[in-house]
Amino acid sequence: MILVQEVIHQIYFVMSAIVALLLLTRLFRRKSRPGLAYDIVYVYTIVPFLLRALHIK
Amino acid sequence: MSTSADRHEAGSRGGGGGRRLGLRRLALLIAVAAIAVAGTREIAELRAYRESVVASEALTRRVPLSTYFDGIRGTLMDAPVYVFDSGAPGGSVLILAGTHPYEPASPTMAYVVMENIEVSRGRVFVIPRASMSASSLGMLGNAYPAFFRVKTPWGEKKYRIGDRETNPLDQWPDPFTFVHYPSRQNLAYQDSRNLNRAFPGRPDGNLTERTAFAITEMIRREKIDLTVDVHEASLGYPVVSTYVCHQRAEEMCMMAAMILSAEQFPMKTETSPKTLRGLTHREIGDFTESFAVLMESPEPFIDKFVGPMTEDLMVTGRDEFEQTAADRGLLYTDYNIKTGASIDYRVARHLGGAAEIVKQMGEFYPAKRVSASWPTFAEVMQHGVGYFLHDPSKADGRRVFFN
Repeated sequence: MILVQEVIHQIYFVMSAIVALLLLTRLFRRKSRPGLAYDIVYVYTIVPFLLRALHIK
Repeated sequence: MSTSADRHEAGSRGGGGGRRLGLRRLALLIAVAAIAVAGTREIAELRAYRESVVASEALTRRVPLSTYFDGIRGTLMDAPVYVFDSGAPGGSVLILAGTHPYEPASPTMAYVVMENIEVSRGRVFVIPRASMSASSLGMLGNAYPAFFRVKTPWGEKKYRIGDRETNPLDQWPDPFTFVHYPSRQNLAYQDSRNLNRAFPGRPDGNLTERTAFAITEMIRREKIDLTVDVHEASLGYPVVSTYVCHQRAEEMCMMAAMILSAEQFPMKTETSPKTLRGLTHREIGDFTESFAVLMESPEPFIDKFVGPMTEDLMVTGRDEFEQTAADRGLLYTDYNIKTGASIDYRVARHLGGAAEIVKQMGEFYPAKRVSASWPTFAEVMQHGVGYFLHDPSKADGRRVFFN
């Protein structure tokens, strides 16, 4: 049971990293919504996923 | 949804325009990442910081909590347990502090006990940081400082403020609803990380439940006669300045509260509700032989209606909005902005409250008597908390520990 919990715990960190990576890719490689406001939204949204994936917050 | 103009703009970029766009995005990313790293520096410092304590000469051993249950070994919840054993027959007392770290008069009181205690009969166990993980982050949405400082004759001593619940870095994700074990009472999802909703704990539960189980096991194996769980409460909460006692400890609590109110400071008493599950004063009393008592001191810092949550508010407890609430009769304890509810007063209350309940256990049950002394309410009010904290750089290294 403890092992299962630990696996789920680590999967959530991996999921955070995947979402951060996805957002990072979309920041640089997207065809639509190229405006500055969208760029700011993308980089701002990446932060919490990145901090969680890096075990900072 | 993208507009046709957006698509046209994106489609028309190429060559130098594309490079410029890429550079702009990279610059933005670096700028935001730099702000994030700068903003989280204090968070990283809080998680890494260790508080020093100079244990008194009465210390006989220091063991990790995992000694009693291996399921928390290697985690941040494997807190140290300090044992002060007189060697003379008598009762045994556990001072359980830091269950909710954002109530910091609790671990500070434990440190004052540990640095000054003398024991001539029975044993005293102290866990100054029951939830090490919860002390390693701040509360989400509450922009308050990571640390507060206590002035001492030799300099300042810095302590973590922390949160109420286990750090999500150590236990995550939360369930949709937390089902308490073994009562199956449904609690709020975030209570799955609240140590004082997880008792008596379970060996195959989440990290917080396993920590509660380790503490319960310690109480059973060490045959602890009295568990004193030290907390702080907002002044708008009815059980502030109160002993909350399991029904088996009801009489000794009533006697202690009467004596304290007559001789030292106002203290109420309340019996633990049987339907409120997961708390020490209910589950430790039900699942072990120990008398279970929880103490609350008044902490303006955690009231929802106070002004800025600064280090000054934590240390002095002075707040004009708290005074307005007091003037309108909205608080459950006395409050005066001139004196506030300082860390000295709150720690002094806990020291006096713990001493009196230990004394009353000996009066009611002479075989369980524990003769131990630490600074009194009057002494701390006269000299301040810092006077009783020792300089680790000048102490015997064998008695200096870091939590």
